[in-house]
Amino acid sequence: MPGADDPRDPPVPGDPGVAGAADRGAAGISGAAGVSGVSRAPGAPGAPRTPRAPGAPAAADRAAAADPQPAGAGAASGGDGGPSLLLLGIDFHSAPVELRERVAYGQDDAEKLLVHLLARSAIAEALLLSTCNRTEVVLQPRDEEEAYRAALDLVFLARAPELERPGLLYVKRHHAAARHLLAVACGLESMVLGEPEILGQVKQAAVLAEAVGAAGPVLRRLLRGALAAGRRARQETAIAAGAVSFGYAVVELARNIFRGLEDCRVLLIGAGEISRAVARNLVERGARELRVANRSPERARQFQEEFPQAAALPFDQRLLAIPEADLVIASTGADEPVITRPQLAAAMDARRGRPLLVVDLGVPRNVEPDAGRLENVFLHSLDSLDHLIQRNLKRRKEEVPRVEEILDQEVAHFHGWYRGLRAEPLIALLQKRAERIRRQELAQALPHFPESSHERLEQLTRSLVRKILHHPSNRLRGRGGEEHLPRLDLVRELFRLDDADDLAGLEGADRPDEPADRDDRARRDEIGGPAGPTGRRGAE
Amino acid sequence: MQILLRAAVIVLPLAYLLVAVDYGFVFFAAEPRAQRAATPALRATILLHLGYLLGLAAGSRQFPAATESQALSMVAFAVAVVYAYVEWHGRERSTGFWLVSLVFFFQLLASVLTHPETPDRAIFHDPFFALHVSLALLGYAAFAVAAAYAFLFLQLYRDLKAGRFSTFYGKLPPLAVLERMMLVALTAGFVSLTGAVVTGALWAERLYPSDWLHDPKILATLITWAIYGLALLLRRLRRWQGRQTALASLAGLGTILFSLVAVNLFLSGFHAFH
Repeated sequence: MPGADDPRDPPVPGDPGVAGAADRGAAGISGAAGVSGVSRAPGAPGAPRTPRAPGAPAAADRAAAADPQPAGAGAASGGDGGPSLLLLGIDFHSAPVELRERVAYGQDDAEKLLVHLLARSAIAEALLLSTCNRTEVVLQPRDEEEAYRAALDLVFLARAPELERPGLLYVKRHHAAARHLLAVACGLESMVLGEPEILGQVKQAAVLAEAVGAAGPVLRRLLRGALAAGRRARQETAIAAGAVSFGYAVVELARNIFRGLEDCRVLLIGAGEISRAVARNLVERGARELRVANRSPERARQFQEEFPQAAALPFDQRLLAIPEADLVIASTGADEPVITRPQLAAAMDARRGRPLLVVDLGVPRNVEPDAGRLENVFLHSLDSLDHLIQRNLKRRKEEVPRVEEILDQEVAHFHGWYRGLRAEPLIALLQKRAERIRRQELAQALPHFPESSHERLEQLTRSLVRKILHHPSNRLRGRGGEEHLPRLDLVRELFRLDDADDLAGLEGADRPDEPADRDDRARRDEIGGPAGPTGRRGAE
Repeated sequence: MQILLRAAVIVLPLAYLLVAVDYGFVFFAAEPRAQRAATPALRATILLHLGYLLGLAAGSRQFPAATESQALSMVAFAVAVVYAYVEWHGRERSTGFWLVSLVFFFQLLASVLTHPETPDRAIFHDPFFALHVSLALLGYAAFAVAAAYAFLFLQLYRDLKAGRFSTFYGKLPPLAVLERMMLVALTAGFVSLTGAVVTGALWAERLYPSDWLHDPKILATLITWAIYGLALLLRRLRRWQGRQTALASLAGLGTILFSLVAVNLFLSGFHAFH
């Protein structure tokens, strides 16, 4: 097992050879001999599971039927208050694109891979996130070492054996794995800090895992937290604010001048790749009226193929089009300026001074720099766009601590949920014990009281039990946000909840304090089975 | 009642200061808690301010614009109400810090200039007086709002022109919207001030048949009216663009402050609050 980045994580026994614990990249796999099963082809051992049909039980449900320690209520604990989680991955920091592209999975391949992973008994739940910059698999393992080996073989080594080399692959466990997935969803791990596409990609990965039946209660809840963190990061902080690409920087400038791109008339002088990239950004964000002036009619025609709404102009008519335009993008390879100051001044007279945004993307420059001094002409070059991008990146970096606060909150919610999930059977036992005592004592006492008061005594004792257990139950569920929660094993021992003779007598006893909270019912529904009061399922 | 009114003189500028600080956190730090608190805090302060003005009116049984302090407080109140409406209508809080700061400035001035005695003259009970003064104060409030938008317009214009991208960039509505809001406020202010000048002229002709044009306040007001009228005309004719109109708007605010404060404090005339 490769070293995890969290120093609290103890080494896994039987680790097949991992360079010491370290952060990303450094946690590579050392010693190919230590990694068994490299030659196993995906799906070779065992019968691969087929994708889940609608209505079929999810992975955790199937696991629950086959395994005395099922996922969900009984999911193995990570030892840090959260469930056992395992994350293996490579990204643009750790591995070059030649390796990343080999372990990039399309929709169909990802679906098959998830099915093969689930075929391994060591894996209860699985999620695969594959983008151009990262491939990561998140597992909820029943057996960490086996799960690790399976994921390593199937996801990575089967396609790129070079990933055995140290430093290419990173592994995170438990708390660190959960936090990493949330950080990815927030864009903190992206090549362009805070880029928004990753949230959609995490969502797609979640949908796929759900469709295949690979997402059980733990990963489902973790993904819900990741998506919530991603949304909150974008809504509550400026981590995704401002343009960080040239194309979007032009859009941002236009949005700071005009009411909206919908009513903005765009004139593109030059129809090369840069023009197209900018036009793509403008059209995606609402620009409808495009005109393109280019020396080569063939290039202009190709431009129109990509942007059918664009009207082509002869190059020498470019100046005539300026008075009607709001945004002019110049990106030609001309050695001399294609727009001079007098030409632009004349155009501004014709447009009666309305604001004009001119973006000069040419090198050498296509627009005379002096033209920027004209009233209501906003002239920007590659340098000023770069200045804008650097400013926005700096602002995004400043937002990282605020995003990390959100991550901490969402990870704490996830752990709280998990703790509540594990505490529920114990609370049920506690309530049953109290109910049993109440009934026994009541049965002894009732003959000494007149029959007319029996119902009142029944109500009184029920109320007493309910009120006495109310606070301990809430504490065990982890409500109230307390950092130091009571130890479940201590509670079990204190109230003798492991006493088999006592427990036998509890069967059939009614719970005095049905949780009124919908979350509790939802939680029991979510774990998909009778992990309720009568069984010991999920007990520590 | 008098104790409450005296307390309000201190509490109101403090309350507006706190609200302005809150909007500052919204503008500069996009602080979520500040965003949640800003609008309720502003509305509560406006209600307090309304109570103060009603208390003044009830106490003296006349329109609460008999002193320069009361007039400034009325302007502050009108600016706050106009901004609250703009925020509610446009769901736009980015200009709040600047406008509420302006409100704070007016109310602070009003509180500093508060005089324990409110003059009781017959004209203050005349409904025509209430109409004339209301139109004038509404006009001043609209011009103050226009000046705030003009200031923001000029900041963003400078950023976009120079490619420097200061703290204003990316936090304000686009230039076109700022200019539009400035022009709407200027137009509303000019119409109101025109109404105030006309009603004032008719009234003055009746009460002060001779020499009323020599009153310093009237001269200052006419200069203000001319500046705004010229700015709007040139903008309408497209001889001026947004930047020049914004500069004229700021110059107009200067003459308003002169007209409201300096004329009353340092010059004599029938408009002086003595």
